[in-house]
Amino acid sequence: MSAPLLEIADVVTAYGKIEALRGVTLAVAQGSITCLLGPNGAGKTTLMLTTSGILRARRGSIRLAGEEIAGRAPHDIVARGMALVPENRLVFAHMSVTENLAAGAYQRRDRAGIDEDIERLYGRFPQLKARSGQQGGTLSGGEQQMLAVARALMSRPKLLLMDEPSLGLAPLIVEEIFRIIAELNRDGTTIFLVEQNAHMALKVAHHFYLIEQGRVTFSGSPGALAEDEVIRRAYLGSTKH
Amino acid sequence: MVVDLAQNTLDGLMLGSAYALLALGFTLIFGVLRRANLSYGPAIMLGAYAATWVNLQFHSGALVLALVTIAGATLAGAYVERLCFAPHGRRSRSGEAAAVASMVGSFALWMQLEELATLWLPKHLYGFPPLYDGPPLALGPLTLRVEYLAMLACAVAVCFGLHRLLNRTRFGLAVRAVVDQADAARLAGINVPRVFMLVFALASALGGLAGYLIVAAHEQVTPMLGMWSTLKGMIAMMLGGLGSLPGAVVGGLALGLIEAHSQWLFGPQYRDLIAFLILFALLAVRPSGLWAMLRRSPAPAP
Amino acid sequence: MDEYALGVLTNVGLFSFLALSAYLLLVAGEMSFGQQAFFGVGAYAAGIGTAMWGWPLPVAALGAMALGAAAAWLVGWPTLRLRGLYFAMATLAAAEMFRILFELFHYQRTIDGELVGPDGTQGFRGIRWVLERGIEQETFLAAVWALLLVVLAAFAIVERTRLGATLRMVGEDPELAAVLGVNVARVKLGVAAAAGALAALGGALYAHHNTYVEPRNFDIMLGVHSLAYALIGGLGTALGPLLGVALDIGLLESTRVFQGYRMIVFGGLVALLLIVRPRGLLDEVAVSRIAGALRRRRTA
Repeated sequence: MSAPLLEIADVVTAYGKIEALRGVTLAVAQGSITCLLGPNGAGKTTLMLTTSGILRARRGSIRLAGEEIAGRAPHDIVARGMALVPENRLVFAHMSVTENLAAGAYQRRDRAGIDEDIERLYGRFPQLKARSGQQGGTLSGGEQQMLAVARALMSRPKLLLMDEPSLGLAPLIVEEIFRIIAELNRDGTTIFLVEQNAHMALKVAHHFYLIEQGRVTFSGSPGALAEDEVIRRAYLGSTKH
Repeated sequence: MVVDLAQNTLDGLMLGSAYALLALGFTLIFGVLRRANLSYGPAIMLGAYAATWVNLQFHSGALVLALVTIAGATLAGAYVERLCFAPHGRRSRSGEAAAVASMVGSFALWMQLEELATLWLPKHLYGFPPLYDGPPLALGPLTLRVEYLAMLACAVAVCFGLHRLLNRTRFGLAVRAVVDQADAARLAGINVPRVFMLVFALASALGGLAGYLIVAAHEQVTPMLGMWSTLKGMIAMMLGGLGSLPGAVVGGLALGLIEAHSQWLFGPQYRDLIAFLILFALLAVRPSGLWAMLRRSPAPAP
Repeated sequence: MDEYALGVLTNVGLFSFLALSAYLLLVAGEMSFGQQAFFGVGAYAAGIGTAMWGWPLPVAALGAMALGAAAAWLVGWPTLRLRGLYFAMATLAAAEMFRILFELFHYQRTIDGELVGPDGTQGFRGIRWVLERGIEQETFLAAVWALLLVVLAAFAIVERTRLGATLRMVGEDPELAAVLGVNVARVKLGVAAAAGALAALGGALYAHHNTYVEPRNFDIMLGVHSLAYALIGGLGTALGPLLGVALDIGLLESTRVFQGYRMIVFGGLVALLLIVRPRGLLDEVAVSRIAGALRRRRTA
């Protein structure tokens, strides 16, 4: 496999005195779908927020395509080709769907390219096209998830981060979201995905990690661990630490 | 009797347009940064003082004085922003403590800027050349002062201008995104601290414009201008509805109307009393302000 | 001690009551720009008590405190639901209303051939109870600080009890407090009334120290200053507001070094300080560290 696109080494992130990440190390291979599974409170979202620059790591290194991005401002990191689809979508509720997409392309100046991309994304997500003038806050959960993904794609990222894309969505919608994830990957986007829904995630991932209480406790390909073992640790955490 | 009522209403609207202009700048900062800037008035005062000084030295024309006021207010505003607002807004999770720290910091700088101004020009009153030197317009039995008409026109123009800026430009998109969901805006690649800085500068410049028109209409500059501007801007903003631009204009005009009619009905001593009473009552009953009331929207939690 | 120093120390004491009043509300989660109104209510009430109705100062002070508490309740009740800037503006509006009412308030009596009493914008002269009894400046200073110490002791005691914890919880997370069964409204009103009484006590003493008060004394600047003192000194302990007052009035005003530049220096320092310490000098973190160090020293 090619060199890792994203390398996270010994990252520690704390909220005041509470360490949410206690030395996380993992790598995301170029062209792969890599998955991080773990129970609630294990640090998945904290890792996503730290990697994207919203939170600052206290220690450790985060390298994107070989360049250090730890400590950089979020807009800087977007400029380097990484975009995060955040937990709970965070669509711009008072802006139209098209404006949401335009915001995702904020750093780009190529008007024609932006319009092209918007058209292309509307082609891939026809539900969004149908609602292009509607305000983001009026969309359903699944549509908001698609909007959040589409918005992140507008910056043409090399690496797409996704924080619990299945959260709060009906099973049919979840299947569609993961179908889109697989498709995006086939078309060339590297994806680093954090999930609690281990079953769906393992279906698409090339490689996965388990995170428990702020540390990575397992690394391997799907099938390396029995699925029910993975699911148990993803939801409940392993009993031996 | 009817003429008096009409004249007072007209006077109130004219007075209110000054308040509306002040409120627009104040609201821009509060609406986007979610912080109250207590140095807003003092920054305007410094701009006005700069223009006064320029006038004393060079007896310049209106355009120069207006530009000096705007430049002075913007520079003073930038100083306040860098020292009090930029350091406390770094991460979205800063919360209320940071908002309070910003506000108290801006109060500290209020004291600083006021002292600077009075050290620069120590007199209690300075004359200021009027924008328009002719007689007031006559509309039948009613009189209309041209300077105030200019203010009203400016307030309306600024409101429309801001609307276009926010809805038709890339920068406006960024501002709306930041107001909507600051973290998502960061993730979309928007340089949020820079947006805050630019909005602050714009608000300060608007304040400078308001300041120039006001001192030109009053034909004088006093050290009370700082507190007066902040207070009127804040009250107008509150009346109209926190963080809403059309609300700022409505609030400003409403404040002007309240003051004009109270003064006529009860005398100058009661004018401010009634304005504060109405503000207090409004906050107690309908904190979302007059604009929300007019649009009949449900009251959002303050 | 020279007269000037006595005056400065007394003023630090007097304004500490006001700063503590703002601090109390801050701890309970409300930012008030209007405590100066109750300072004024206390001043006028105590002045009327001693100069016009012949009451002794302690009685007049108690009456002033009651009136201050009532006035604070009157402002607190309609504004219960408000938070943040909304609450701050409402208190500012209320305080300005009080100030204007002081300007409109005329109540005079002829006592010993002289016209005594509040005279609108002309103010209230002749509050000479302290002078008439030949009470020395040092004695008055001691009395002010004795009372202040009593108040500080009360704060210290309350901090250690469940009431103190309840207050801080209401300040930090009112929803959580409500869920845990705290009657948030009652707590807030109680705090408002106590803060009003505290400010009024300060005002009563202030009036008798200056012998003359006018509505202009109780303007917005005073209110924002007292809030600033509480915030700069720190919200971790009741000594915080005192520190804030001492820094401004004690250090900067008295040391003539900064004559004419006092606010430029103080304002700049405060803004810089808040960058490093957003919750003031003696914030909760600092207080727990100091307390920890003291405890270790004691057990060592």
